[in-house]
Amino acid sequence: MLATITAERTHGGTVERTHAGRQDMIAGVRAMVPWLLGVAPYGLVIGVSAAQADIPTAAGWVTGPAIYSGSAQVATIELLDAGAAPLIVVATALAINARLILYSGTMAGHWRGTSMWWRALAAYLLVDPSFAVGTDRYQRPGDRSGAHAHYLAGAIALWITWLVAIAVGASVGARVPAGLHLEFVIPLFLVGEVVVRLNGPAMRRASLTAVAVAVLAFSAPLHLGLVGAIVAGIVAGLATGEGRR
Amino acid sequence: MTAWLVVLAGGLGSYLFRISMVVLVGRIGSPARFERASGLVVPSAFAALAAGGVVASCTGAGAPEAIAPLAAVVAAVAAVRRTGSPHAAIVAGMPTLWVLNLAFAG
Repeated sequence: MLATITAERTHGGTVERTHAGRQDMIAGVRAMVPWLLGVAPYGLVIGVSAAQADIPTAAGWVTGPAIYSGSAQVATIELLDAGAAPLIVVATALAINARLILYSGTMAGHWRGTSMWWRALAAYLLVDPSFAVGTDRYQRPGDRSGAHAHYLAGAIALWITWLVAIAVGASVGARVPAGLHLEFVIPLFLVGEVVVRLNGPAMRRASLTAVAVAVLAFSAPLHLGLVGAIVAGIVAGLATGEGRR
Repeated sequence: MTAWLVVLAGGLGSYLFRISMVVLVGRIGSPARFERASGLVVPSAFAALAAGGVVASCTGAGAPEAIAPLAAVVAAVAAVRRTGSPHAAIVAGMPTLWVLNLAFAG
């Protein structure tokens, strides 16, 4: 808060702005921590599966920086290992990642006015956790450049953690004690973020519809249930006539 | 060689998805309906991802083991409603999951 005020008052004051930017970056990394705890074991598992699959381990690791989305990476590695046709593998990965178009649409408004290079980098880092942490900050009032720093710092922390986790999994074959169920941190984190947003009929109907469709369509092929659930939630929210929160 | 091409093609396609609307909306501007819809993407996406994660934790396990993740979610919702803090979900939910898993294991 103090950092934001300082940044607004000294429009052009480089020292204060740098200070405010640093505060926002630290806040962005801090907001990413719950996600890092959840995705690190997932990255380890992907690394291990890449090492065990019948593909070059390096190619398995490169799914990280290239595809950069856990479920699409798992599908790619598993299908290549199973000997599926290359086109089927690519189509499956892209179907799973179709939700990124929705995320891209949400971020487009927030990123208007930034440089082409900034958007190119920010878009590359866009995935569920960075989307969650980023939109949460963008929806709060305050300095827009601070929100950009918040997004980028959190997203880069996630990127580094993800790639290191896959590399460790691939090289050491490390295993996280399964009994801890750290993968459940992410659903719980999302539950918390949804519950605090249930402040209007449109939000409530959107969330409940998305939950219902996600559960019913859980076993739909290619993770299309997820995209269907998001779209159904948006449509249900719009139908209530007050889309804004 | 094929594996490398598949990974790179998947990566290129994923990047095009990520940048697609950023480029398009930047060019054509964003219609009011799209703005309204984008406000609903977050609760819809989070709710869908959370539900998928919970269902994934429940399936494969027997009926008693499926109770632990569901009870953890109930505890998480109650804690968030009581405190107003989203982080309360993890603080309340994870111990609930561990305790119930231990109880069922024992």
